[in-house]
Amino acid sequence: MNAMKRLSVVALVLLIASVAAVSQEMSKEEWQRQIAEMTTKRDSLKTVLAKLQNEIADLKKQDDERSARIKKLTDDLAALVGSQEAPFAALLDKIDNLVNDLSKLSNQDLWARRADVDTAQSWLDGAKQNPLSSIDKFAKRIQDDQSKLDALKKTIQTTMEAAQAGQTYTVGTWARDRDCLWNIAKKPKIYDNAFLWPKIWQGNRDQIKNPDLIYKGQRLKIPAKGDLTKGERSALRSYWSKKKAAAANP
Amino acid sequence: MKKPLVPTIIGCVMMALVLTSCSSKPSDQELKQLEDLKAEVTSLQNQISAAQSEKASLQKSIAGKDAQIAQLTKDIEAVQQRLKAK
Repeated sequence: MNAMKRLSVVALVLLIASVAAVSQEMSKEEWQRQIAEMTTKRDSLKTVLAKLQNEIADLKKQDDERSARIKKLTDDLAALVGSQEAPFAALLDKIDNLVNDLSKLSNQDLWARRADVDTAQSWLDGAKQNPLSSIDKFAKRIQDDQSKLDALKKTIQTTMEAAQAGQTYTVGTWARDRDCLWNIAKKPKIYDNAFLWPKIWQGNRDQIKNPDLIYKGQRLKIPAKGDLTKGERSALRSYWSKKKAAAANP
Repeated sequence: MKKPLVPTIIGCVMMALVLTSCSSKPSDQELKQLEDLKAEVTSLQNQISAAQSEKASLQKSIAGKDAQIAQLTKDIEAVQQRLKAK
């Protein structure tokens, strides 16, 4: 009896296993359904692919046309500028190199080479006169260099003003140094501009009563460089009026 | 009379086995046909993906060349103006 029960259990297990196995195999109906589904999908994808391939062929044609147009325009531009482009580019390279070198200097070294800044500006002004400067790639380089030069000039100006803020000048003799207010103002380290002599005069009213008379050993304060102020211009007018009057009535 | 349980179960098992072995299934050839179709669909999907990338790349190239053409045209006009002004 027990053996029979065991046999029944085994048979039941076999039954369940066989049903499970059969349920995982594909039926004919399922196969037909999948075939139909995959066929529809394939056909749809073929249509999409064909359309894409047509679009790609058209885009390739457009791309080739543009390449040809670019070549023609490039040739036209080269014909217009002739053989000038290479020398012009070389000039801009020269300016770039000088400006970049100057940009790396300390403020003191830049002050010492301020003449090179003027040289670079002069070259750049010349480049701007060339018709090739209208070409975008060159125009951008010129603009960049001008910005850098403007920054360098500002640094030089700031350096000069800072130096002048505490700057003094000890008067020498006329015989040896030709020191007068005009010549002192003309000195590059002072104002580099003789017409600014009234600044020194007005900045040292306590020492200079008569601007035509300065003395050896006088330590003059040098005010910051700039245009003559209203007061300085007024003092200058007064000076010339008195000189004129003195000349008229000796 | 008490129905014998064990023979009944055995009989059901035998019948189930017979029935399942006789139901309709696709042949190996038909199964291969389905597998081939699925592979073709996958291949087409990959080709479409590649084609879409190529299309996008061409569109980008064309846009870049249009910008280049516009710049060259502008440069030529600018140089011509400057040459006339000289």
